Amino acid sequence: MRTIELLRLGLSRLGHSRLRTALTMLGIIIGVASVVALVSVGQGATSGITSRLQGLGTNLLTVNPGATRTGFTRGAAGSANTLTVDDANAIAALPGVAGVEPEIDSSQLVIAGTSNETAPIIGTSAAYASVRDYTIWLGSFLTPADVTNHLRVAVLGATTASNLGLGQGSIGTTISVGGLPFQVVGIFQPKGTSGAVSADDEVVIPITTMQDHFDNAQSVRTIGVSVASAGQIELVKADIQVTLEGRHGIAPGGVDDFSISDQSQLLQTVGSVTGLLSILLAGIASISLLVGGIGIMNIMLVSVRERTREIGIRKAIGAKAGDIMAQFLIEALAISLIGGLVGIAIGVAATAVIGLIAGWGFVFNPLTVLVAVVFSLAVGVIFGVWPARQAARLDPILALRYE
Amino acid sequence: MSAPLIELDGVRRVYDTGRVQVAALDRIDLQVASGDFLAVVGPSGSGKSTLMHILGCLDRPTTGRYRLGGVDIADFDDDGLAEVRSRTIGFVFQDYSLLPGTSALENVAAPLLYQGVPRKERLARATAVLERLGLGDRLDHEPTELSGGQQQRVGIARALVTNPALILADEPTGNLDSASGAEVIQLMQGLNRSGRTIIMITHDAEVAQGATRQVHLRDGRIVA
Ligand SMILES: Nc1ncnc2c1ncn2[C@@H]1O[C@H](COP(=O)(O)OP(=O)(O)OP(=O)(O)O)[C@@H](O)[C@H]1O
Ligand SMILES: [Mg+2]
Repeated sequence: MRTIELLRLGLSRLGHSRLRTALTMLGIIIGVASVVALVSVGQGATSGITSRLQGLGTNLLTVNPGATRTGFTRGAAGSANTLTVDDANAIAALPGVAGVEPEIDSSQLVIAGTSNETAPIIGTSAAYASVRDYTIWLGSFLTPADVTNHLRVAVLGATTASNLGLGQGSIGTTISVGGLPFQVVGIFQPKGTSGAVSADDEVVIPITTMQDHFDNAQSVRTIGVSVASAGQIELVKADIQVTLEGRHGIAPGGVDDFSISDQSQLLQTVGSVTGLLSILLAGIASISLLVGGIGIMNIMLVSVRERTREIGIRKAIGAKAGDIMAQFLIEALAISLIGGLVGIAIGVAATAVIGLIAGWGFVFNPLTVLVAVVFSLAVGVIFGVWPARQAARLDPILALRYE
Repeated sequence: MSAPLIELDGVRRVYDTGRVQVAALDRIDLQVASGDFLAVVGPSGSGKSTLMHILGCLDRPTTGRYRLGGVDIADFDDDGLAEVRSRTIGFVFQDYSLLPGTSALENVAAPLLYQGVPRKERLARATAVLERLGLGDRLDHEPTELSGGQQQRVGIARALVTNPALILADEPTGNLDSASGAEVIQLMQGLNRSGRTIIMITHDAEVAQGATRQVHLRDGRIVA
């Protein structure tokens, strides 16, 4: 019978018991809104983290002292200080290597005029900016000559510069790093935070200068290697391993005292973690949708019971079982669909707000909405069919006698 | 004389409650010709409503045969019976049985919905019947906004709107005072005079006088 007529019938009923309908819908609204919001949060977090990792440098290999790491877990702890500047130079000579920057860390009091702060100091080579994907905002980066000549020059991260009140016109001025005068030659553009560590809070100086004044050991914390093209990463990685094993006197296949990691490994690990997170969030949200569905079923069963006599009357005046079934099913579907649409609106709004706060922007996936619509309709059908069948199967004489 | 509209042959209806079997109807033989106004009279529990449910194709005989318009209703499945109810039978109930929260007009139009009549035509036909029964100014009233007599007239209008061959009324005056009861009986007599077949159930001998023919039930059997 004439779907439109049944639609009218089912919808008019919803208007009869508005509060009940609204409360039943609320279950679906919450369920769908949380599915949309949580799935979007999962996607937003994933894309946010991924884009930041990619921002750390392209085709980047990182050589660290100590034993191989798998994912985030470190194997046997190796001796810490096994890498040297000479190791970095050896790597630089390998084919397919575009740039190498060894890094030595320290933390020193930095004073500029009346401002001061304790900042991370990084001693490195002229390749640092290109390997780590930094862009110069003012002035210029360290030159190879700065490094070979042990010059006291410094390039500041964006955060450090603004903390110290340095900006336009500060290039060429002198600041004090660890009590020694350094000339500011450049300031980086901001890069954004990566996890808890800001990539913009640092003072970069020539590695030679660093060794002269702040670090008496030759120990290198990390060596960043930029590979000429993505296709060569595996090859270069293997070359570095052989080279370093040779230099450190380790037999091939022995336990290395260094580890080489690349971005793809990290991306993979992060991807699998965030993927798991997304599934978990979607799972939690689905449970609330399920609860909403059970709410619909509950209210529909009550409704069928309450309207037993109405069903008897309708059957007496000619309604077929299918007509009754359709009437109740449409009611359940209307509740779940309207609830679903409202839930999507709220979910999308929540996504926008969360994205704004978390800083990965508004990640909107039409597929999520489609899935949510299909999901809420499915909930309506699954939890509406049983009560509707109950209604359709009522024996008309029992229904008519029902008080 | 043409074939009777209704033929019951040895109809039994046994309710199986698990512990005991109650024969609400026992070997009923009955013929009702087209154009009859039959009153079924009997005390409470004699099986009147059970008989009406069978006549109205809401229920089936446990044994025996029921032919309506010459067709054995055992030949129909449940949807077929719904179709028969929709096309050929109009019900009038003691408690009016109007759809709650629904206007008089929508109540009367409801049976046409299940015949697939378009909405405009439904409303036009329902309006015409309600006007004929003097309820033209009560179209938008819901059942709670109508008196008992008015509600029963809406109920009769609903039974009439499909233009059925048979009208079945179960104690149509049972809930009404004598004045509005008499009005309802007059209404039914008028319908009968214009050619409609009516079967009316009542336990009130006086009300039964309004019919042209009476059948007396006792303990599920026809006694007179
Ligand atoms: N669903 C049922 N299950 C078991 N027994 C039933 C059922 N319906 C009716 N009966 C029994 O069948 C008999 C006839 O019932 P019915 O309702 O037809 O009587 P009635 O003549 O309409 O009575 P009343 O004047 O009170 O309406 C009664 O004894 C009743 O108890
Ligand atoms: Mg009865």
